[in-house]
Amino acid sequence: MSKTTTMRAVAAVFLAFAATNDAARAETAQDIVVASDKVRNPGEPFRSTNTLTEFVAGKPRDQNVLVVYAKEDPATHQFRNLIRYVAPPRDQGKMVLLDGRVLWFYDPNSKASVRISPQQRLIGQAAIGDVLTVNFAVDYSGTLLGDETIQDASRKDRQCWHLDMKAANDQAVYNRVEYWVEHGTNYPVKAKFYSDSGRLLKILYYRGFEEQLGRIRPTEAVIIDAVDTSLVTTFKFGDFHAQAIPDAWFQRDYLPRLQPE
Amino acid sequence: MIARLCGLALLGLALGDAVALADENSDLDLIPQAAGQPQTPTVAVSPGGAPNQRLYLENALTGSGPRGGLPVPFPPPKPATWQERLFLDARKQWVLGDRVTLTLSDRLNLRAESNLDGPGHQNTINDFREGYVSWEALDRTYLDAGRINLKNGAAVGFNPTDFFKTRAVVDPLSVDPTVLREDRLGTVMGFGERIWQGGTLMVAVAPKLTNPTAVYKSTDLRSFDPSFDRTNAHARFMVKGSADLAEDFAPELLLYHEADRTSVGTNLTRSVSQDVVVYAEWAGGTRSSLVDEALRYGRQTGTLPMNASSAIPESSISGFQSELSVGGSYTTESKITFNLEYHFNQAGFSRRDWNNWFRAGSSPGARAAITRELWYLRSYAAEQQEPLSEHSVFLRADRVDAFVPNLEITGFINADLYDGSSLAQVTADYYLSNAWTVGGLVIADLGRAHSDFGSLPQTASVLFRLARYF
Repeated sequence: MSKTTTMRAVAAVFLAFAATNDAARAETAQDIVVASDKVRNPGEPFRSTNTLTEFVAGKPRDQNVLVVYAKEDPATHQFRNLIRYVAPPRDQGKMVLLDGRVLWFYDPNSKASVRISPQQRLIGQAAIGDVLTVNFAVDYSGTLLGDETIQDASRKDRQCWHLDMKAANDQAVYNRVEYWVEHGTNYPVKAKFYSDSGRLLKILYYRGFEEQLGRIRPTEAVIIDAVDTSLVTTFKFGDFHAQAIPDAWFQRDYLPRLQPE
Repeated sequence: MIARLCGLALLGLALGDAVALADENSDLDLIPQAAGQPQTPTVAVSPGGAPNQRLYLENALTGSGPRGGLPVPFPPPKPATWQERLFLDARKQWVLGDRVTLTLSDRLNLRAESNLDGPGHQNTINDFREGYVSWEALDRTYLDAGRINLKNGAAVGFNPTDFFKTRAVVDPLSVDPTVLREDRLGTVMGFGERIWQGGTLMVAVAPKLTNPTAVYKSTDLRSFDPSFDRTNAHARFMVKGSADLAEDFAPELLLYHEADRTSVGTNLTRSVSQDVVVYAEWAGGTRSSLVDEALRYGRQTGTLPMNASSAIPESSISGFQSELSVGGSYTTESKITFNLEYHFNQAGFSRRDWNNWFRAGSSPGARAAITRELWYLRSYAAEQQEPLSEHSVFLRADRVDAFVPNLEITGFINADLYDGSSLAQVTADYYLSNAWTVGGLVIADLGRAHSDFGSLPQTASVLFRLARYF
């Protein structure tokens, strides 16, 4: 065997090893995201009440309250969401349906349903896209960047997997997400959300880990607007209830019929 | 030597990581102290949410600028140059029992304006919009009865399939089509709906309760009257069905009958990308031209003399006429949503109709009766909420958190494709708090004198409003 042939063989083995190692890391990344999804999202259909408090330059300003009905679609393993505005009073009764690519906004004042684009999920400081129940593992493909110790929302050190997640389909709310998940518990700790152009849009910290619907889950999140860092929104996910939700609810014509529980 | 270099490199990497992680943790400095603690809701919310309701008090002051030198003189009374309006607007739903709800929706207006004489019943206008009982007879099978605002249509600027829109809007403050839908009268009807997984069927039957009445002017509105003449002057019937035929494809089909007119229609929507939705709305049926319908209605209701000939050519021939609204929405990364639509109203004014309208009204000997008839045609079209011209284009833009948080700016322009004239409106609303909103709007009719919007009696109007939500 010539020297050149030997070097080629070594290079081939090295590349094969590197490829295998990357594949293993990618598979591991996906496992971590799946495990973290199970922490964030109940496995059964549920209803929760989300309170969003907006802070401008450090001072609390508006508060929005939304009731979210979510149910996993067994075909896609992604959640279907129905969102009903409870507060502020001017928005009370408005609704949003998000079912895959199909998004509708319903206003009880005009009794009109308007088709909206996925991009419209991101409108408003407290965007609908932030209160959706979403399985990241379905909408994103993750890569493990490394193992890092970062501080959580209460400035406590957490040993985390650092993941880089790219949108895997056109239903993903954001184009790219950086995600930190704690070793062992698979608790989500932090996420950074990026636009199609690569601009950092939001920084999110999970906190308030409590038992809800059978396991410890984050019940609060803090979102920093990375474009205007004087804007911060806190989310309180409360009042979790397991609830049978018929599939027929997730269509436009049901929106006017949805009754407060 | 190599070992030292490797050691330095590893040290460099480690220091680099430490700096990166320090940067990563610096994000926490952006969280204000007040947001550092768990938040407790300050909004009182019952378990599962609040009842379905909205209640607000609003004051709106409007000033308008008249246009001089109209090619077709506007008949008296002249449009108001100012209006002050205070109104209480309420919509509420009550649960009466297992599967039974009652919905009421009403707006009580107190108004004063430049062309109203002294205090009188015209200063108080009550819009009884809705009042109906809904019963869920079986799971997702509903029977409703009462006055119901039944809205159809996928488009924004013009809804050909919104068959119950005609005459339903009373003295609006804004001309934005999305706002016009909010304050309109429902129709007394029986309504049945069945919702399946992946499909819906609806049937609406509206009886005739009164005879048709004349087109209203701002100075002769009903005070405390349910105005069933606006909504139930004819028996009406509608069937609507939709089905999920494929992923993201659920067309809506409609059949509508009123008096001697039957129409069919469809609504189609589809998301084509992350930021673009396209839609099409079409309705068609046998009917007369807008001119003929208006003249016939005017004679039937006594506004126009029964046997007099029209100032512009008319024809009693009916034919199949289409109405179409086709367009799409596009949302930018900077949170602006645009809607662009093309509107086609085959029964509307053609170029020849416009020429006839201006020729008849501009002739030196045009009598008051002629100009009154010509303006009546336009009042009729406005009450019917259909475009006056055959071809028009509509562009709307909406931006929330525009420039500063809680400021929403909306603007639209509706342009007549025959003459390029347009109706434009810009609205700005600032949400002072969850309870208070302050805002304003500017409406302008733009175009040359012999054009659709340039021939209107007002050039522009400005409105300031303050609203308190409860």
